Amino acid sequence: MTVLTRIKGGRIVDPATRRDQIDDIWIRDERIADPPDGGIRADYTYDAGGKIVMAGGIDIHSHIAGFNVNTARLLLPELHRGSVPRPVDTPLSTAGWSTFETGCRYAAMGFTTVVEPAVPPSFALHAHLELADIPIIDKASLAVLGNDDFLLSLLRTSQGSAIIRDYVAWTLESTRSLGIKVINAGGAVAFKANARQFSLDDIVPHYGVTSRTILKSLQFAVQELGVPHPLHVHCNNLGLPGNVETAIETIAAADGLPMHLAHLQFYGYGREGERGFSSAAPVLAEAVNKATNMTVDVGQVMFGQTVTVSLDVLRQFNSRDQAQPRKWLIFDGDAEGAGVVPYNYRANNFYNAVQWAVGLELFLLIEDPSRVFFTTDHPNGAPFTTYPEIFALLMDAELRAQWIAKLPANAMAVTSLASIKREYSLGEIATMTRAAPAQLLGLKDRGHLRTGAIADVAVYDDDRDRARMFRAAALVFKNGELVARNGQVIRYRWGRALKVSPNYDRDIERRMRTYYEERYGLASDLMKVPQHAIPRPEPFESVPCR
Amino acid sequence: MADAWVAGKPVPARTAVAEAARLLRSSRLPVIAGLGTDVEGARAAVVLADRLGATIDHMHSTALLHDLDVLRQFGLMITTPNEARLQADVVLLVGPGLTKAWPDLPNRLLAPRPGDAPERRIWWLCPGGDRIAGPAIRLVGDGSDDVAVELAVLRARVAGRPTRAGRQEEIDTLAENLRGAQFGVAVWSAAQLDALTIEMLSGLVSDLNAGTRFTGLPLAPPDNAWGVQQVSAWMTGFPPPAGFGRGFPEHDPWRFNTTRLINSGEADCALWISAYNEVVPDWTGRIPTVALTTAACRFRRAPHVQIMVGSPGVDHDGTQFCPLTGTLVAVAAKKPSGALSVAALIADIATAIAATET
Repeated sequence: MTVLTRIKGGRIVDPATRRDQIDDIWIRDERIADPPDGGIRADYTYDAGGKIVMAGGIDIHSHIAGFNVNTARLLLPELHRGSVPRPVDTPLSTAGWSTFETGCRYAAMGFTTVVEPAVPPSFALHAHLELADIPIIDKASLAVLGNDDFLLSLLRTSQGSAIIRDYVAWTLESTRSLGIKVINAGGAVAFKANARQFSLDDIVPHYGVTSRTILKSLQFAVQELGVPHPLHVHCNNLGLPGNVETAIETIAAADGLPMHLAHLQFYGYGREGERGFSSAAPVLAEAVNKATNMTVDVGQVMFGQTVTVSLDVLRQFNSRDQAQPRKWLIFDGDAEGAGVVPYNYRANNFYNAVQWAVGLELFLLIEDPSRVFFTTDHPNGAPFTTYPEIFALLMDAELRAQWIAKLPANAMAVTSLASIKREYSLGEIATMTRAAPAQLLGLKDRGHLRTGAIADVAVYDDDRDRARMFRAAALVFKNGELVARNGQVIRYRWGRALKVSPNYDRDIERRMRTYYEERYGLASDLMKVPQHAIPRPEPFESVPCR
Repeated sequence: MADAWVAGKPVPARTAVAEAARLLRSSRLPVIAGLGTDVEGARAAVVLADRLGATIDHMHSTALLHDLDVLRQFGLMITTPNEARLQADVVLLVGPGLTKAWPDLPNRLLAPRPGDAPERRIWWLCPGGDRIAGPAIRLVGDGSDDVAVELAVLRARVAGRPTRAGRQEEIDTLAENLRGAQFGVAVWSAAQLDALTIEMLSGLVSDLNAGTRFTGLPLAPPDNAWGVQQVSAWMTGFPPPAGFGRGFPEHDPWRFNTTRLINSGEADCALWISAYNEVVPDWTGRIPTVALTTAACRFRRAPHVQIMVGSPGVDHDGTQFCPLTGTLVAVAAKKPSGALSVAALIADIATAIAATET
């Protein structure tokens, strides 16, 4: 039976269809529909008068599932209190920092699709099991390559791009991922050989290839396979003073082809000032503005206790002495490493205040909101629950001035933030969090409110307090179903994991079986994610390649 | 052969399920224990505990907590079994019980490295009475030595500090070997070492990284203990033991320890789950018990309700911790049978409980 829903008289902010006007949105079952012929009435009508109506939000980079995130939970039992009760008849409705909480908190803010960006292939099944226990939202994962012996051996022996392409495609299919990420390419291997720093043109020990070669080969393979999301890159030298040079070299290395740089804020640092640490955001933003092939997300820092989780084991090892509280996990994995290091960003700390400003400068100085994405690199810069405060900061120069006045003056002096007057419009916010992410990930039927789109809709009160507005959506629909009202989840449903299945030469399967047998003495099937292991009906949804 | 019993008498499975539901439903504080089950079974158990206000605990949670306490109070450097096998040029075995914890250890980790890599140097600190045939292993200390003290002396010598302990020369040779490792791996079983000993070992490993690369390989307890801990962490935020009695999950190793809850009389009903091995509870208190176990499980005191379940990876497909990879993997049934999974039985019990509530 068809269900017809009408969201009546709201201000539709939908940049993908260039709409900013008062109108109705009609939903037929799970999809956005044309208004019905006269005389047909909606089964359910929701008054959106005076409210803002957007497509559901899409987060392209948030660490929400997998071994690393779960280790952070185990490492920090003090970080998550039993929190706000939700509908009492839903499972685990009172669990603190859990998969259930993750889905509910995203939904309450009007987000309906979230990408877990760092899944090592050997932990893919684990990550998918956690993703399957995140309610309401749709999910996706990026598989991480770039420190794996198979790829590095292919590069060392110059075996050509065809086999690399097949291997990348096989990895995407085996791990059921939406794209490929590379994290400090070669850095985890170098760390195993006792390197303590690793840059773009450094050579990976034992393999004789540079980080740049790995990066380029993966970028090319992803492009050739027609995977919609370009290679997702975590550069070398994260967090170090002067690392803006690394980011700019990486942009140059992209060579005009599509590439996504993750959490750029962590690469926006110069060496100016008496402490040798300053914002290089203006130069970096200009480099991004010029390179129209590039997309970036910010990884905004907000003040407070959090935990950094990263596969960049080299970086995490070097930062473990700054752990707050003092404890950490450093992991040498099969290919990628990992590190979980708690951290407390403090407003009275010079370095943290500079980091906060660098993020906002990048948001405000990168001109095209469809190429700069909204992230905190959850939980690395801040938990995703701080998004509403960040939206408010982007939309209000006066609010920023109030924050700046309270932060260390010497820190603000080595940034340009105070001089920037730009304020994001609601349309730009919607571009950055809806239209552009859908395009970046190749999700044609979301991120907009065009007829036929999946009916993921967020309705917000048009509150002058933008943080309050974005913290608790008035209404949230997922696949046409009302799931949250006034920031409270009222209905559970189970979303899917989005993945791509590019074509490839199946001969790689035979080769991988042989490889696993010879190198590990194990079956290559051990690394796969069989559909039957995921405890939901229809847990996956395919996204077409180009 | 029957596959369900109530009060020692064979009954149809649905009768046993109904009786299990009645017991659990009428309990003020049920404990869900054992938890020797796959990921699916653990997920079902956590949802049931949430619903009943029960506690959850794993039969090997004490050992799990030894490693976890070190992680959450100090820190750990660890690697995977694969990476240890491929990279380790120096292996430091610590304490007894290693082959018991991982029978494949000699074969996977102590055999020569693949390819033309130089031979591994293998040391065993305080093996107790354990020995491994085959590889050349240099033993340091024996069953009469305190592992924590030996580790402390070793750590002091690695750091170049003087000690007045015996066996100076032996310990110094070992310290030199550890410092000279390119990628050293320390291996231990938390079932045999307490948290302070593991913390000393973690400190030693961490210190060694000032000059070279060294890391650890903790051997997980059996019965999918690691897998169940992961499930509990993502579903509740906490490892076992955890309780839902106050309406939200809480973790407290003392309060929610199953044996303590039962022996003290706080708990009034137990659901015991052991689908892999013939493990029976170690509590001494009398408590009405529902047992979901393999066929061969023999209890000292027959549980009030006992229902046979299949083993994951044998009778039915499942997902569980794999000691070869150190990750969760999907395993196909080796000898598929009609035996029900723990997840399916808990779902039946939950349905029966729901039916009594309406």
